[in-house]
Amino acid sequence: MMEIQKLKALVYEEYIDSVVRSLGHAGVVQFIDLREKPEDWNTVFLPYKQSTDNINNCSELLTKIETAFGTLHIRPDDFPSPKIPITKEMTQKVLEKVEQKLDDLPIEEAKIYALASRIDQIIGELGIKPEQFEKETSLTQPEEIELEHIEFELIELDKTIETTGLSNHHVLVERITSKHIDNFDEIGRKFAELSKFVIDSERYFGKRLLTLKKTVESIIGTIETGINFEEIRQDLLTLWVIIKEEKRISKEKEKFVRSSKTVFFEAWVPETLEKEALSRIKSASDGNCMIADEVPNLDENVPIMEKECPSYLQAFGKLECAYGRPSSGDIDPLKIFAITFPILFGIMFADVGQGAIFIIAGIIFTWLRRKGKVKEGGDIIRYLLISGEMLIYIGFSAIFFGFIFGEFFGPSGLIHPITLAKIGPFQIGGFEPTQEPMKMLKFAILVGTIHISIGLVLRFLNELRHKHYKLAPIPVCWIWLIFGSLFMWAYWGGISNISLWFSEGNLMLIGLIILPLFLIFVFAALAEGFMAGVGFTVEVFAETLSHSMSYSRLMALGLIHSAMNYLFLVLGGVEHGVFPLQSIPLIAVGTILVLIIEGLVVFVHTLRLHWVEWFSTFHSGEGIPFKPFEST
Amino acid sequence: MDPSIISLIGLAISIGIPILSAAISIIICGTALAGVGTEKPELLSRLIITVVLGEALAIYGLLIAFMLLGKLPDITTMETANKALIAGVVISVATASASAGISYSGSSLIAATAERPETFSSNVIGVVLSEALAIYGLLISFMIIGQI
Repeated sequence: MMEIQKLKALVYEEYIDSVVRSLGHAGVVQFIDLREKPEDWNTVFLPYKQSTDNINNCSELLTKIETAFGTLHIRPDDFPSPKIPITKEMTQKVLEKVEQKLDDLPIEEAKIYALASRIDQIIGELGIKPEQFEKETSLTQPEEIELEHIEFELIELDKTIETTGLSNHHVLVERITSKHIDNFDEIGRKFAELSKFVIDSERYFGKRLLTLKKTVESIIGTIETGINFEEIRQDLLTLWVIIKEEKRISKEKEKFVRSSKTVFFEAWVPETLEKEALSRIKSASDGNCMIADEVPNLDENVPIMEKECPSYLQAFGKLECAYGRPSSGDIDPLKIFAITFPILFGIMFADVGQGAIFIIAGIIFTWLRRKGKVKEGGDIIRYLLISGEMLIYIGFSAIFFGFIFGEFFGPSGLIHPITLAKIGPFQIGGFEPTQEPMKMLKFAILVGTIHISIGLVLRFLNELRHKHYKLAPIPVCWIWLIFGSLFMWAYWGGISNISLWFSEGNLMLIGLIILPLFLIFVFAALAEGFMAGVGFTVEVFAETLSHSMSYSRLMALGLIHSAMNYLFLVLGGVEHGVFPLQSIPLIAVGTILVLIIEGLVVFVHTLRLHWVEWFSTFHSGEGIPFKPFEST
Repeated sequence: MDPSIISLIGLAISIGIPILSAAISIIICGTALAGVGTEKPELLSRLIITVVLGEALAIYGLLIAFMLLGKLPDITTMETANKALIAGVVISVATASASAGISYSGSSLIAATAERPETFSSNVIGVVLSEALAIYGLLISFMIIGQI
């Protein structure tokens, strides 16, 4: 069963605003943009082109309300968003009512009350006690001039308070404690300074604010309008939310299509929320609708419900998402990716000592992240903290390959290479890459072949899940081709012996390379047509060759890593695994250099091998997350 | 000409041209990246691949130069010296070609991703395939050195 269902609905035009509003309040569906596939409906429906009046009116009203906010010193973000009732009226009617209500609001008259309210708000934020500052005041200038002065002064005061961070004492306190965490004397001194600053500032601001307050109160005393500013503010906030909602609804409706009197839309809805969506459509349209739900077609790009990534795979999840999410119905390769990534990294960065440094750094970063330090520091620090666990995995992998290639801070001779296995001409471990680069090259190509084959197995499973039975044999033949080519290369030799492939080895060539290629052509042609089959077969042949060769970068970067470390070992005078004392600073500098520069290059190449060579075999990355339409 | 001079020329070419190629791609992609970074910093972590792949070209040159350096005492005849020179030329031409590819497709990738981030996964192919050109040169160069 699919997690997400497809909903189709036909609603009378007069109810469509109400339906979208109701669905938007609940946030249960994601509307499908029908304009993207006009061939599905263009014989029956027309695009739902609304007059631009609604959107223009919304923008105009929003500007009006925001101007009123400015005039009345209201910061909408400081107040909780008011809950607005669900109305069944059309957007146009709602906008008319809002405009009427907005015109009725006594904005100009409320200005003086707004000043009083803002002054009170600041006094509250700063914790100023009025009884400390008794000061009589009287009007010295005419009311209007006095008001202008106060307004100007209030804006200035606001700015000063914001820039000093005075209204948030805890920010200042945190700044001090985080800087001088271990130095209690320093903390004490800084706190004393802070207290003096706060007291002085409050004394100054307090005096000014209370003076302003009294002036404003005396002006209010001279007028009797009976205005309730709290109500006006609440009304404005409500109108603001309503208009924003109507604007969103108008924009969302552009995805729909229409007949003369009805509007048709399609939407994705999670199975669990389907009942709610259906009942909302029915009640919002008073039953004037036709609704159908269906299981989406297997080939449709259905949004996927995002599952929370476990923290130990978080870094890999981010790398996978940076390429693209798996399409609906595809296998999520995250867990396999989390295994193959450290392995490929470890081959290129094989070193016991540097692997151990990675593990230590990984443990520290993970600990800091779990302490909640991710938000502090810049981008680079954040990335490092997120990749804490990943560093631990790649550290273990680097140590493992360090043992099998005999590397401890480079080919120092302290560790001897350990042979894990020999498969024909391929040797896993037991040699130093710098001494026997050809063995390393063969090992790299073997790893590449296995890696690509894992991708092809996943492709096979994906084809089965999508019920593409004609395409399912292609990855199987591809695995046959790729291992066949590897066997030919190992048995007869590479480019220099290519003539043998076509003379003595021609039968093998037919069985291991030509036959699987022909079968790939047959299956592709059966599924997608003759020309597509030819194109696809050529593509498979080229990809097999270029992608396998691309894995030789495992050898190239592995050798470079070893060679760079070797340089510092020679400079430091390290011989036969004996590290003289004077060599240690030099090796430390070299290690830092290698960890930073080489680490970054190897990381990007590992990522590239996954993104390009591996993902291209099975992972389209075209998945879209389920983002329900929310109007408020 | 003396074999040792020829082999040294090969070594100089094998490190010099790849470094120049890497510099060109970093200059072009790096400036484009800086431009995008001011507008959409959240894309930087993805797009940094263009600069790092450009930098890798210098590493391939470095690898061949290291290997030639290790072979210098064995280069005594004109034949081996010529092989060293050709190995240097092969990696230089390969990295220079890769650099041209990375520079053009990298800067376009950066601009396109800034406009439509969802096109990244298909557009990145141009950059990585350009970089693969250097790997082919590296392999051949590596095999030539193996025969010295």
